[in-house]
Amino acid sequence: MGNKILEIKNLHVAYEEKEVLTGIDLDVIKGEVLCIVGESGSGKSTLIRTVIKDKAVKLIDGSILYFGQEISSFRERDYQKLLGTEIGFIQQNPWGAFNPIRTIEAQFKETARSHGISFDREKLKDIMDTLGLKDTSKILKSCPYELSGGMSQRIAIAASFYLNPKLLFCDEITSALDVSTAISVCEELCRLKNNMMTTIVMVTHNLGMASNLADRIAIMYKGEVVEEGKTEEILRNPQHEYTKRLLRDVPGLKAV
Amino acid sequence: MKKRIAKIKIIFVSILALLLIFVTCFAGLFAHNDPYATNALAIRTAPCLQYPFGTDNLGRCVFARVLYGGRTTIAATFLLVFISFVIGTVVGMIAGYFGGLADRLLMRFADITLAFPQMVVAIAVAGILGTGMTGAMISLGITMWVSFARLSRSHTLSLKNEGYIQTAFFAGKSDLYIIMIHIFPNLLAPVFTNALTQIGTTMIGLSGLSFLGLGVIPPKAEWGSMISEARAYIQIAPWAVFYPALATIVTIIVFNYLGDAVMDYREA
Amino acid sequence: MIKKLIKRIAGLIFILVILSFLVFLLMYLAPGDPAEKRLTSQGVAVTKQVLDAERERLGLLKPFLVRYAEWLFGVVRGDFGVSFKDDMPVAPKLLQGLKNTSILALSSLIISIVISFTLGIVSAEKKNGIADHIIRVFSFVSNSLPNFLIAVLLMYFLCIRLSLFPVIAKGDFQGLFMPVISLAIPMTGRFVRQMRAEFMAQLSEDYVTGMRGRGVKRRFILFNVIRNSLGHIFTIVALQIGTLMGGSVVIESIFRWPGIGKLVMDSITARDYPVIMGFVVIMGTIYVLINQLSDVLCHKLDPRTRL
Repeated sequence: MGNKILEIKNLHVAYEEKEVLTGIDLDVIKGEVLCIVGESGSGKSTLIRTVIKDKAVKLIDGSILYFGQEISSFRERDYQKLLGTEIGFIQQNPWGAFNPIRTIEAQFKETARSHGISFDREKLKDIMDTLGLKDTSKILKSCPYELSGGMSQRIAIAASFYLNPKLLFCDEITSALDVSTAISVCEELCRLKNNMMTTIVMVTHNLGMASNLADRIAIMYKGEVVEEGKTEEILRNPQHEYTKRLLRDVPGLKAV
Repeated sequence: MKKRIAKIKIIFVSILALLLIFVTCFAGLFAHNDPYATNALAIRTAPCLQYPFGTDNLGRCVFARVLYGGRTTIAATFLLVFISFVIGTVVGMIAGYFGGLADRLLMRFADITLAFPQMVVAIAVAGILGTGMTGAMISLGITMWVSFARLSRSHTLSLKNEGYIQTAFFAGKSDLYIIMIHIFPNLLAPVFTNALTQIGTTMIGLSGLSFLGLGVIPPKAEWGSMISEARAYIQIAPWAVFYPALATIVTIIVFNYLGDAVMDYREA
Repeated sequence: MIKKLIKRIAGLIFILVILSFLVFLLMYLAPGDPAEKRLTSQGVAVTKQVLDAERERLGLLKPFLVRYAEWLFGVVRGDFGVSFKDDMPVAPKLLQGLKNTSILALSSLIISIVISFTLGIVSAEKKNGIADHIIRVFSFVSNSLPNFLIAVLLMYFLCIRLSLFPVIAKGDFQGLFMPVISLAIPMTGRFVRQMRAEFMAQLSEDYVTGMRGRGVKRRFILFNVIRNSLGHIFTIVALQIGTLMGGSVVIESIFRWPGIGKLVMDSITARDYPVIMGFVVIMGTIYVLINQLSDVLCHKLDPRTRL
């Protein structure tokens, strides 16, 4: 099947010596928005950290294929080049993307240099504008610790848009944003998907948001994917007890 | 898993530490020679059956002196740590429990004590008080109690707001009762861990002062002063330096390791 | 900002005044009579009249607070009084000693920092690797070694066994080598431990994951980690200066290095109080200043820390 951008097979992963993921099978199809829904501690963030090969996460068993190639077969340095431009990642912690005590500009330049591209201020300004970040030059001169959570999160999103990855992982990125900003960020994500054909994997505990954004939904519970399918199918005909419970907790969704 | 490994480590090192304490406490059982008996016929004898670690400049048995000297070093260290522990914990608990002016004064005093370089103060104080282990212990103790006081104060502060202590308070229990029954047992573990980690440092400090001649009064056996004495003739009788040196290193490593292992255990 | 600075300086002066007072009090309460000691050492027959005259001359008969005030005002002007031993002013002796001690202390400090910085990074980056284990064992063992032991053992092996160095140090590089190494080894052990912990704390920060996820090169990430640790590293180093000062007293006595530490040990034997007092005041001042400075520097390097 040529349209799979990512295939996860029988993945067992430990975080801090505890097995967090106990056998995950999940495919990400090119061009889709996949939402992974689950409560905190269900292992959804660990899943993303495994894909970016975070050192704190230990792979026990299973494989992850990116365009059919096993990611553990990549050399560390080659994979590092892949991150950002091919596989993007936005964290839950809004201050998590940048070093809090260095200027945004210096860090943007480092990012650009790491990928051998030049730092295009105009391009960044355009991206920031669409995300509702005015006064780019002032932002570039400040350090993240001086900025609010919502602002930092939007800058982190801008950074990943700037690199224009084929596959973008978003880990609870709207939790630090107020509702209207969250909606505009989601709209931007949709536009990115439509314009650039970016595949988006979004991790959230919010089934309501997932139902609005996703083409497909995967439900995670206690380190396993218990259910996965097209958004409408999941909403109309949930199989697993946990999904049913989730649906009951979101008013207005059950009627769909 | 981590916790189990740490536990095994603790048990293993504790046995070593107890062994060290046992051997030095009952030095008489192991050393057949008198550590203070001089022998003009056997000065600077190389290690042999009669003198397993050889003899020093005055013909005294180095083996016996290492064992009896260990008693001095270890006993002085434990006593000093224990006294600092008691004073620091009492002060810290009082400051944390009652708060107010007493707290502010005590903690300000502690801050000032910490602002001075410990070893510099110790050397000056020991130098002025005159030689003797007591002087050396006082000079180190001046700054040592502070870490205990700070630690027990911060734990008392957080314990004070626990529900069961509030309950005890409203049930009309006396302050002393609450401190002794509810607070002290609960801060014992972290403060005791701190005490363990202080043993190695204290030993280094005490033997350093003795080495400078600010500790024990000769001819009393103590590792630091033995090394200091014997280094004058190290060329002829290196064993008189090596064995007390080895004893010092082993003892400090064992107690430092014990402190580390207990810290690992508590963090795991 | 200026208000904070003034408050800080006032606190500094307060601490130093207390230090000087405690030192003076200690001297006052100390056993032994310097006048008597002085006379006997000069071979004078001690009669009551001679003793009183000597006490008068040394200013020992004035009330305690007057003596303290006189001494303190002298110290502020750079006058530490005259030595009981040879009637020479104390200040030049202390300064000369301080100069020699600084050479020794700074050399070992720089060596320690360079080595432990490198080892700390390697150890933290390759956590639980072979290098990390070796470095940790080294740091643990060297942290457990008293520096006088290292000095004595170095002397035995390098000077006597291998004859690489002269037994009594001269003021040149060769003479500096062993004292510097003896001071540096235990200090490096402590630094490695603390710096490793600091680098590890930084490496587990979210921003490192964020940078990795953005594909930022390893050397840039390392640069950011080091940049963010600097503030804490200054604090770590500043806190070790006290141990270094104590250590240099021991090492100078062993290698007969003409520093302030050897001077103070000689003065303790001679009960030469003005020198001992001067030593404590100077070392205390340097220590307090360095620590205040490191606080300010820490704030400059990481504006999130409160001043």
